[in-house]
Parts: sequence; structure tokens; C-alpha cells
Amino acid sequence: MLGSESIDGSATNGGGAPRARTVIVAGQSSQRTREVLQALRGFTHVIWPTSLEATLEQTGSADVACLVIADDLHEEPLDEFLQVARELRRNLPIFVITDPDDVAEAVSAMRHGATAVIEIPPSYAALRDEVARAMQ
Amino acid sequence: MKDLPQTVFVVDDDDAVRDSLRLLLKSAEITCQPFASAQDFLSAYDAAQPGCLVLDVRMPGMSGLEMQQELNLRGATLPVIFITGHGDIPMAVEAMQLGAFDFLQKPFRDQELLDRVHRALARDMDNRARLRHTDRIRERLATLSPREREVLDLVTQGKANKMVAGDLGVSQRTVEIHRAHVMQKMEAGSLAELVRMMMAVAPRQ
Repeated sequence: MLGSESIDGSATNGGGAPRARTVIVAGQSSQRTREVLQALRGFTHVIWPTSLEATLEQTGSADVACLVIADDLHEEPLDEFLQVARELRRNLPIFVITDPDDVAEAVSAMRHGATAVIEIPPSYAALRDEVARAMQ
Repeated sequence: MKDLPQTVFVVDDDDAVRDSLRLLLKSAEITCQPFASAQDFLSAYDAAQPGCLVLDVRMPGMSGLEMQQELNLRGATLPVIFITGHGDIPMAVEAMQLGAFDFLQKPFRDQELLDRVHRALARDMDNRARLRHTDRIRERLATLSPREREVLDLVTQGKANKMVAGDLGVSQRTVEIHRAHVMQKMEAGSLAELVRMMMAVAPRQ
């Protein structure tokens, strides 16, 4: 079992059959990462692996609904990490949280495999919507 | 067939932007064709013409994003570099989700645009080479008889002649003959090459 922090919310979606759909959060230990974890708490099973290796290992799991890159990844450039994750799972929704107005970073993330880039602030509503869509 | 020269199509309603981009591209010895509106470009659009697009996001009438959607509907593969003076992240994300090659905010340095144009032209060349390659494979596939196609599908799944014979209810010798015809018609030198050809034309997952 990989070392990971797990926030176990409801594993059901709507009124349908129970599903174990996991959202992986990647990012250094920071205020923003904590906010992302908090924003996703309660309506899905969220894991925050303790290393990038563990993150990628989990990303390969069929149970994963999406990957959320919440903040800087320490030693790993975002674009390279995105490429590796994308090669692992071609169709996996990958959402990147970024500072407002950093259009160049957003474009670069999209070119390297992000499904969408969400600017924070103003709010986490857009992230929750994207994650909910990814789990449908 | 002689290859057409690569052209950068600049679509921007601002005369000054079109002129300055034309001069910039000319200075880099790149052929440029300017258009004042999306409608003008779409009227003149020819899928056979290689190159790339430098497209303003906001224009009166059809916007750049709407034009990209229209090109998608037409199956166009021309790489699109969006330029805008008022870009934000949602706009950039939408453009990239629609398949844009790049998204650049004004003002930008001349070299920034030229670098992207060169990369977009290289991408277009790759796309066209890949399409020519898959077209050739499809043309060869169309020459196979139904039985040869069945043999091809089974051998490229990794099945040995004996297993193919069992699956199709024919003799092993018959499978060998069909297989030889498949290799010949597909112009494949080995089973590995045949598998690569089939992967090249397989629908993307």
C-alpha cells in the first residue's frame, strides 16, 4: 500500500450504484493544496500521495476518475509531469490549478496534456464542476 | 504530385496587425496570405494548401474561436496560433480544448511569434505526412479480399497460422497462401511492419 493521505467522502454518485471513483491530488504541502483537498472533501474519495512516484503509480489505476494538480510539484517541472501522466492514461481528465492571469502557463499546461486549467481564486466551484463531470 | 509551398494565413480585422505580421513573416522569408475576416478565409480555404493559421480571437462577425470550430467541422488539420490583446485563462483553455496549436497574448516579441510559426509549420508537415501514410495503408487494405482481411486481423492479433486455420475453418496451407497475399498487397516486409500499419490506421482510444 502506498503511503498516502486519504480523505474518504461518499463513494456514491447521485442516486446511482455505489462507485469507488478516486480523485488524485498532486502538489507540494501548501495552503493551496490544503484548500483543494478541502474543496473536494465530502463528495468523492480523494487521495494525496506523498510522492510523485506514488502519484504516478496511482494514476495508472483504473479506479481513478481524474488527477488534480493543485500546486508546484517540488522538483518536477509541471509540463514534464503532465506528459508522463498523459502517457500513462491517455483519456484521464487532468486538471491544473493556476494563479489568475497566468495565461502562458495555462497554455503550456494544455499543450502538455492538461484537460483544463482552472484559476484560483476566485473560487473552487469550477474545479468541483470539472471533477463531478469527470466522475460521470 | 508537386508539394504546394507552406503559407501562413493571417486572419485579423485590424489592418495594422495584418500589415505588420505580413512584413514580419516576409522578413523571415515565409509566405503569408492575409485575410480581414473569418468569412473571407473560409471562402478561400483549401484543405490541400499546407501551412498554418495566425488567428485573432476577437473579430466582428465570426470570432476566431468560432472559425476554429468551423474548421474542426470541416476536418481541417491546419495548426492554429491564436493571438489576442485581451486574453484570459478561460479563453486560452477553450481555444486549446478546441485544438489550437498555441495561444499568444499581444504584445508579443517578433521572435516569439516566428518561433511558434516555425513549430506550427513543422507540425503541419508532420500531420500531412502521417495522413499520406495512413491513406496509403487504407488504399492497400481496400485491395484485400474479405478472407484476406480476416487473416490479416487474426495474424496481427498474434495468432499463429494453425490457430487462424482453426478459427476460420480452413486448412493451414490455405491460411499460408492468404497470408502471403496479404503481405504482398500490404507491401509489408514482416509481421511487425504489418502490425505497425494496422496500429497507424486504428481508431484512437
